[in-house]
Amino acid sequence: MKLGRHAFGDDEALMMAIVNRTPDSFFDKGATWAEDAAFARVAEVVAQGAEIVDIGGIKAAPGVEISAAEEKARVVDFVARVRDSYPGLVISVDTWRAEVGAAVCAAGADVLNDAWGGADPELVDVAAEYDAAIICTHTGGVTPRTRPYRIDYDDVVAAAIADTVAYASRALSAGVARESIVIDPAHDFGKNTFHSLEITRRLDEMVATGWPVLVSLSNKDFVGETLGREVGDRLLGTLAATSVCALAGARIYRVHQVPETRQTVDMVWSIAGRRPPLRAIRGLQ
Amino acid sequence: MKALVPGTLALLPSYASIEDPVAPLRAACLDAVGRLGPRVRIVSSAATGGSGARVGAALVAAGGGTVVESGETGVLVVGNGSATRTEKAPGHLDERAAAFDEALRASFAGVDLELAEELWADAACLRDLPPLADAEVLYDDAPYGVQYWVAVWA
Repeated sequence: MKLGRHAFGDDEALMMAIVNRTPDSFFDKGATWAEDAAFARVAEVVAQGAEIVDIGGIKAAPGVEISAAEEKARVVDFVARVRDSYPGLVISVDTWRAEVGAAVCAAGADVLNDAWGGADPELVDVAAEYDAAIICTHTGGVTPRTRPYRIDYDDVVAAAIADTVAYASRALSAGVARESIVIDPAHDFGKNTFHSLEITRRLDEMVATGWPVLVSLSNKDFVGETLGREVGDRLLGTLAATSVCALAGARIYRVHQVPETRQTVDMVWSIAGRRPPLRAIRGLQ
Repeated sequence: MKALVPGTLALLPSYASIEDPVAPLRAACLDAVGRLGPRVRIVSSAATGGSGARVGAALVAAGGGTVVESGETGVLVVGNGSATRTEKAPGHLDERAAAFDEALRASFAGVDLELAEELWADAACLRDLPPLADAEVLYDDAPYGVQYWVAVWA
């Protein structure tokens, strides 16, 4: 797998830490809205071992309209600053707009995380032009920043596979490198809780497509609704879902809590036989 | 040429960790096995299900040699002292362990095999070895409550 300037082996599981340059995202509620706070968050997650930061300038949920100019003002210079300070870090930007994608790639971004599933068809061309990686998500065709309302599927997993694989093929045709394309079923995007649970349960089917799979589970509503937990009290449920996805072989984990997720994924990776124990001597002396 | 190594299962490739818990021991074992030439005959006991033979064979393979029944260029003896040196040792602490291992350190001849069994020592194959005083001792420690020696006799 190649994410912009950085290459990774097939047996590696990667942590993608969420860094919001937003005043209103659901989990951190503007904690890293100020540029210096966001930069401190980057330093923190790098120290925690995250390989990737995912920088976002617009919250996913509906809210105040943010123009492309305002989105660029929030993320472009920040990407340049992070690129300058952390040459070994993979920088991903969470955007659906080609115009923003081009600006952040010029500033040093490695990955375009299109959380809205190809809403702007030119985003793949930008990824190809800058040799960036692209995350192909499934949203069921909804408009960016809308909540799912009475969306239903004959088979949500089949729909997620069909759409993300089709998106991956579009990216490939546009000239994005094969090893730089990742698919994401996009839990809660265009999905109710039952859909997100089924996507989790059957994640192995997405892995079987051969495209590396990213999962974004962190503190989401499907966890909250399943367990009756508010935002801020969803870590255990998130980690349970993370375990199931890790066993299936998901490669990238988009998260708020890096150390907890890393520990969970390492444990499952070892159970799956993909990672040796750190240091085993008990019974082997 | 003759060498002694312990039957430590952590030396097997199938039990490799990210951080090697027996790195100095492994280095000493590979050093010793490397001096035995290309054809190595293994002498090991039936203790702990015959695991000593597996460990010996793995070390010979890691050194690029071949295990033979006869016509050997060197002999690899697999065995070790007590496994009851500390409270966290596999066989828990037995106060007699230190003195037992000290006696072996002086001479392998005349080892008390009954006591060896009580102290979880794999000592049956040690009896015929010359004393450690005549060997080049590459390792002598009990990092996990089990007494290990790696030694080479010219």
